[in-house]
Amino acid sequence: MKMRIRKVMKPKIIMNKFLLGLIFCCLATTATAKIFNAEEFTLDNGLRVVVVENHKAPLIKQMLWYQVGAVDEFRGHGGSAHLLEHLLFRGTAKVSGDEFNRIMEKNGAVSNAFTSYDVTVFHQFADVSRLEVLMALEADRMQNLKISEDDFEAERKIVFQERKQVVENNPSSPFAERMRQMMWGTSPYGQPITGLPEEITALKYADTMDFYHKYYTPNNAILVLSGDTDAATVRPLVEKYYGKLKKRPVERDEQSPLSEDIHQTLQMSLPHIATPRVSRSFMLPPRTELNDMIYAYDILSEFLGGGETAELYRDLVLKKRVAVSAGAGYNYMTRSNTVFSISMTPNTEKPFVPETGVQMLNQALLRAKYALTEKRLAQIKRKISANMVYLNDNPQTAANWIGYMLSMGFELEDVQNYEEKINAVTLESVQKAFDDLLKASDMTAVLLPLEQTNGENNAE
Amino acid sequence: MQNKFAKYVLYALIVGIFGLFAWGIYRCHSRIDADRILARSILKDRTFASTVQQIEADGIKAYLLEEHSNPIIAVSFAFEKAGSAYEAENKQGLTLLLTDMLLNGAGEYDALQFKDISEEYGVQIGFSAGADDISGFLQMPTANKNMAIKLLTSVLYKPYFTYDYIGLTKNQMQTALRNQKERPNGILADKFAEIMFAGHPYARPAIGTAETINGLNRADLVSFMRTHFTKRNIIIGIAGDISADEAKQLIIDLFGRLPEQFEQERIAEVDLNTTGAVHYIAHDSPQTITRFVTKGTHRNSSDFYPLYLANYIFGDSGLNSKISKVVREKEGLTYGIYTYMTSKDTSALLSGGYSSTPENFEKAKELLLQEWQKMAQTGVSLSELQQAKNALIASHNLRFASIGGIAEMLVAMQQYDLGADFLEKRNDYVRAVTLDEVNAAAKKYFGNVPDFVIVGTKDSDK
Repeated sequence: MKMRIRKVMKPKIIMNKFLLGLIFCCLATTATAKIFNAEEFTLDNGLRVVVVENHKAPLIKQMLWYQVGAVDEFRGHGGSAHLLEHLLFRGTAKVSGDEFNRIMEKNGAVSNAFTSYDVTVFHQFADVSRLEVLMALEADRMQNLKISEDDFEAERKIVFQERKQVVENNPSSPFAERMRQMMWGTSPYGQPITGLPEEITALKYADTMDFYHKYYTPNNAILVLSGDTDAATVRPLVEKYYGKLKKRPVERDEQSPLSEDIHQTLQMSLPHIATPRVSRSFMLPPRTELNDMIYAYDILSEFLGGGETAELYRDLVLKKRVAVSAGAGYNYMTRSNTVFSISMTPNTEKPFVPETGVQMLNQALLRAKYALTEKRLAQIKRKISANMVYLNDNPQTAANWIGYMLSMGFELEDVQNYEEKINAVTLESVQKAFDDLLKASDMTAVLLPLEQTNGENNAE
Repeated sequence: MQNKFAKYVLYALIVGIFGLFAWGIYRCHSRIDADRILARSILKDRTFASTVQQIEADGIKAYLLEEHSNPIIAVSFAFEKAGSAYEAENKQGLTLLLTDMLLNGAGEYDALQFKDISEEYGVQIGFSAGADDISGFLQMPTANKNMAIKLLTSVLYKPYFTYDYIGLTKNQMQTALRNQKERPNGILADKFAEIMFAGHPYARPAIGTAETINGLNRADLVSFMRTHFTKRNIIIGIAGDISADEAKQLIIDLFGRLPEQFEQERIAEVDLNTTGAVHYIAHDSPQTITRFVTKGTHRNSSDFYPLYLANYIFGDSGLNSKISKVVREKEGLTYGIYTYMTSKDTSALLSGGYSSTPENFEKAKELLLQEWQKMAQTGVSLSELQQAKNALIASHNLRFASIGGIAEMLVAMQQYDLGADFLEKRNDYVRAVTLDEVNAAAKKYFGNVPDFVIVGTKDSDK
């Protein structure tokens, strides 16, 4: 199935994607009601369940979030979490071969899955009248997977082609993967989610099934149901289909966060690249150490890079005219170190000199400190509040956000109080976040067209 | 003796009944019977109130779908015959520049203020340029309707178009133009249009060329907007937390001051006759990528639904499609292969695409063409058609997931002339299609061999 690979070049913040992409209300900053009409419960077998009500249309989003991802793979078995995700569409003891996809199709469900470093997620969007069918099928493939060797081989070829198509056909991917590897060193977060081509080719049926039996169990999953239903209606159904699944002890190695102080630089020239890119990424502590400081960083990323009114764009694109785009992002949807990054695409009307480009980006970052005022902070908070109303439009939005937050160790309360948490951020805490950022381990990366080695401009 | 015999019969019966019973239990537990689960489900169908009202204000018609559960309103609109195909030959990229420039300052607000205020009020405004139309989008929390009106009317009636921002935006377009050619799919999109639509305005790159972008100026923006943003070529869809009377007032407030005259002639229909030609563009990327195409049918033609179902079964139903089963699921030759229909103002196409490593590419193409030919010759089976109809009908409600999506759909319904009752009738349209109609359409359209545009490395070159 389609896999979403976290972009390495520009670590996206999920939160920002929601806040900027989907939502943009009212000036009432005092309103801090709970964002969603949601309820949580846990089955005896350990399956955590969240039900979010959205009664606009008779629709339901089911998402099952397994707490396992690419970082849990055995060394050298890169890509096995992702391959396994694909195999879950290939049949069980009770639903053979392509029947799963057939039944989903017949019931009008849009069915897909994705694998990230920390989670593997299976999801469907369908008419609410079909929910029992979705639950029966999803519960079944948690424990009854039955794959022929032929199907395994075919699917292994497919994920190999997927890597070629989605990653390698993008000429900037070697740069992105190298950057990731340098930043994360020997940590599994430094490896590509797809696995390397030679790893994919070497994946074995038995190993993949071991991975399945080890991690696919109700006590290692979170079920999110979002749409035209409520907990009272749906709980007995969840019990009926998921309740009978046996729990199994799951041991998941916690990845120790990186704490070394490292400052690195990467410069790479690649074929087919037409425009240089400059970025700087900062390795920050994990959420569990940062606590509510993550909201300060969240605001800082809005301030620096939340669109065309943010400070880096104002400075580098509008004022100094040295870039055609500039942005920032903060990825805290991870169980390990959170990563803050800033980036720009230089203006190549004039010849681009990498050292100067890096200097421009760094100076803009330092200058931004002076623009960080109570007024700007209040404005960012207003923007975030104003856009909360859109979170309850498409039911898929809530399912996705809640699933991510809970998977990364947040509680439903944290999601519900997101606006409150944002409003509680003070100017001092954003300034502190800024100072800590500048002291963090970092990596400066420049991507250049192959024709350009230094100081020459290849722009037409 | 008789007694004994009766006993055996009885035993046999008991064993038989027990066996049947056990087999029944085994069947139940060894298979998942989705139809049975559905039939017994406590969750029942609910009809989404999809009544579309046709409203008119100030001589402007619009479709409205009221939905009051969440306090947001979405307005989608399109200016027809105002897309990139209507740019002058030497002004390519103009509509793209225009759609960007509309948000760079208007009325009381410079670009920064405009964007700040929009975000602070949760007002989303956006424009995009297609080949045929310029589309616009306005979404707001109900409480901020007045601010939304103020912002969009500033854009429509008092855009700044400052020289400063024009220079910046042109520069951004030049960068985007170069970046588009970094990836094989960017090259393919460009070459595909250039080759398949040669001589037609659709052949031009929407982003323009380095030279035409360079030549764009403020006067071009002003004049194109004056002649192409009018009451006569606007199509409007409104959805969400708003009544019919309020919607009418909103139309007057937003669009009432647009000019009345519109004189753009429609461009000529694309004449596409495919013969299986292969256009190969060498490029050293890990995968070779293709788009193939033949003649399709327009959205309002009587062939539409039959071909829609034929195409769905052949290549537009994800992993269940005929072509995906053969090329992807069975052989593992590609990550994805698909076909799709497009209906633009002056072209209707049946297209498709896939990408694979060079050593797989020709094999995949061979299998594709085999299946394509089979489709023309034998068509689809009744059970395939029934599965497709079930799927399309069961997924009908998914189109109502977001208010913004509904507003956009209301615009499309008017553009394709589907009628205000389309949403209520659509499932019947799907049901009514017969197997003969589908197979006649398959014969007619899959009977043409598609042309291929390919970007990548040939296996033999390696």
